[in-house]
Amino acid sequence: MINLNWNLRDYVFAAFMTIGMVASVFIIGPLVPPFLDVVAWGPVGGIFLTLGMARLQKRGSVALMVFPLAVLVIPLSPAITLYLVLTVLFTEAVVFFRGNYRLKRNRLLGTVLFFASAVAIGIVGGGLMVGDVFAELLTKPWLIALLSLSGAITGGIGWWLGENIVSQLKRAGKLDDDL
Amino acid sequence: MTTFKQQQSHSDFLKAINPFLKIGLSLALIALSLFLEQISSMLVLVGGVSVLLFQVKVPWPLLMYSLLALTVFAVVSAWLSGNWSQSLFNTLRLLAILLPAPVLALTTPPTDLIRSLQQARLPSFLTLSLTLIWRFFPLMQQELQRIWEANQLRGIDLKRQPRQWFSGLIVPLVFQMVTYADEVTIGLQTRGYSPTAPRSNSRPIRWGQVDTLFCLMALLWLGLISYVEWGI
Repeated sequence: MINLNWNLRDYVFAAFMTIGMVASVFIIGPLVPPFLDVVAWGPVGGIFLTLGMARLQKRGSVALMVFPLAVLVIPLSPAITLYLVLTVLFTEAVVFFRGNYRLKRNRLLGTVLFFASAVAIGIVGGGLMVGDVFAELLTKPWLIALLSLSGAITGGIGWWLGENIVSQLKRAGKLDDDL
Repeated sequence: MTTFKQQQSHSDFLKAINPFLKIGLSLALIALSLFLEQISSMLVLVGGVSVLLFQVKVPWPLLMYSLLALTVFAVVSAWLSGNWSQSLFNTLRLLAILLPAPVLALTTPPTDLIRSLQQARLPSFLTLSLTLIWRFFPLMQQELQRIWEANQLRGIDLKRQPRQWFSGLIVPLVFQMVTYADEVTIGLQTRGYSPTAPRSNSRPIRWGQVDTLFCLMALLWLGLISYVEWGI
């Protein structure tokens, strides 16, 4: 999945976008209840995800940003690592058939898929591992669908804000011209 | 990193343990918690983790927030299921899944973690990314603080004006991050860094006596949990 043509500049940029995503988790996480944290993270996390996709452009861009985060949280929670890996694999697998992240609509698809699948995989994983409240949610597929849709919408907002910053960066000459 | 500095462990014993051993124990405890079915064995597991938790200096606000969240979880699940003992068991299982790794991670200096990951022969891009995240995360926090203060100087209170968050906080932060990323890339290139070139380690992490002792204690603990659960 990881393109062999990545260069040092790509690795460093992806790492900085990962920092942005981690920072936004720390800001948003304590403000919302556990069920809604991914949904609330969408608008801010989506900005960094979109920015990374816009700059890196190749297939595997999301993996390059999220895999280090997944490795980083192994000591904190192997369950979150598994959840991040599954979410990334799903997003990258779908975008693989669409090409790369050069086009805005593919970036929208990637961001929306990432957050929608994060919510769904999170609830299903929680239900299988912890049970109880999460297991109760598994018996209500409409609720999972509603939460996933909310994740997709907030991810979409993140994409829109991200594209806004991409155009500002382009105007300032901070991003490549061919975006 | 900042988190580690703020929540340093009281104990040098846990700090000296091989990070891989701690990760292994965390994985074993989480996996075991998924198979336990008796509340007594779950109590032994969570009790042991709580003893380890005393080795870590956790800030009071974080502790109170966690306790509150846990209580809400227990009450909501008991209300939904109508079974208090099952709810207590599930709350303990949640603790058993969530607690071991942070407790052991907070007793691991970031540099040791990076060194052990380097020794694990991970792909070089992963090691580079992890090093950059550890190094620059606190710096980005400082940048965030500076931007916040700059807004205050201009009479914009971001706490009361969330509409200004995007233009006043996130956009400047992203611009700073992009600038940092470019400068770090140039810095690494001028020093001849190549992600594909083999790298050496001046202080490799080795297996010590404390690791053997920790290993024995962990095996005893896991054995006790198994005995209480299955009688073996």
